[in-house]
Amino acid sequence: MSQDIPLSWFLYFASAAFAAGLLGVLIRRNAIAVLMAIEIMLNAANINFIAFWRYGTPPPGEGPLTGVIMALFVITIAAAEVAVGIGLILLCYRRWKSADIDRYDSMAG
Amino acid sequence: LILRTVFILVASLGILAALGTVLARNLVHAALFLVAFFFTIACQFVLLEAEFLAAIQVLVYIGAVAVLLLFGIMLTRNIQGDETTGGRALARIPGAIVALAVLAVLIAGIRGETSPAGGLRDKGSPSWTARTTRPPADAPGDPRGPIINQMAPAIGVELMTRYALVFEVAGLLLTAAVVGSIALAHGERDESAGTRPRRLARPAAGPIGPGDGASLVPTRSAPAPAPSASAPR
Repeated sequence: MSQDIPLSWFLYFASAAFAAGLLGVLIRRNAIAVLMAIEIMLNAANINFIAFWRYGTPPPGEGPLTGVIMALFVITIAAAEVAVGIGLILLCYRRWKSADIDRYDSMAG
Repeated sequence: LILRTVFILVASLGILAALGTVLARNLVHAALFLVAFFFTIACQFVLLEAEFLAAIQVLVYIGAVAVLLLFGIMLTRNIQGDETTGGRALARIPGAIVALAVLAVLIAGIRGETSPAGGLRDKGSPSWTARTTRPPADAPGDPRGPIINQMAPAIGVELMTRYALVFEVAGLLLTAAVVGSIALAHGERDESAGTRPRRLARPAAGPIGPGDGASLVPTRSAPAPAPSASAPR
């Protein structure tokens, strides 16, 4: 049993992946690259959900599958978000002829 | 020991793939790195004994999301990456600083909350605790025991009973997202072609119409004065 993976290893991995995704959101200027980085962050959060689901003891009355259901809905939301995001990016590309998020400045004051 | 070695291997590959996604200049390479990252996440789910979720991860993320992103890359034709990715290194420094600071805060928080063996520290409130080692799957009294080996039917039952409302809301959200993206992709051409001239021509139809003010509101249910209104235009 001492050969088991500790809980904190999963948390460290998830935080490293989250930081990588945040770095991508901050430094990339292509809109699709930003979308990919957001996906990385959502996956890091999913790792946390499943790790806490597996290592924690569920409170009574909550059902045995809370973390898994939560991760499933995060996956659903991510799929919907990518569909809408790709639509928006294509629309912006048609209008500005560029996928550079620094050029979408119509609402800049 | 084998489990830990596998975890370290998978985790380092995953972090490398995430950094490759973030830092690759070619966007197609970035998307392929993203596929590798999703696959390592699926491997992590297998290590956490959520195999059904790993299958869902491969199907949804690699099968749908990555392909959709690749289509987006192809359609925007920016394969050679941002023209500014390597140019302005000065603009990337604040982003790197912020990301490293967030990473440091997260690691400090995890180190503060976990015992040196890797489990959560007991804070005295026994409502929710976690352990260093995972609870055995066949522990008596643990409701997750029979579920881990039969996750798909258990998830189906839970979605139909306990989480039925959330399930419906998620379906509604998916429908709204699909309809919205179709409207986004098709809306511009229809608006520039069809509705705008008709809305401009409609006040000219006011004197011809029988109503007083009711005909000023353009509705689709009254198509009769439309040809006469378009004639003076």
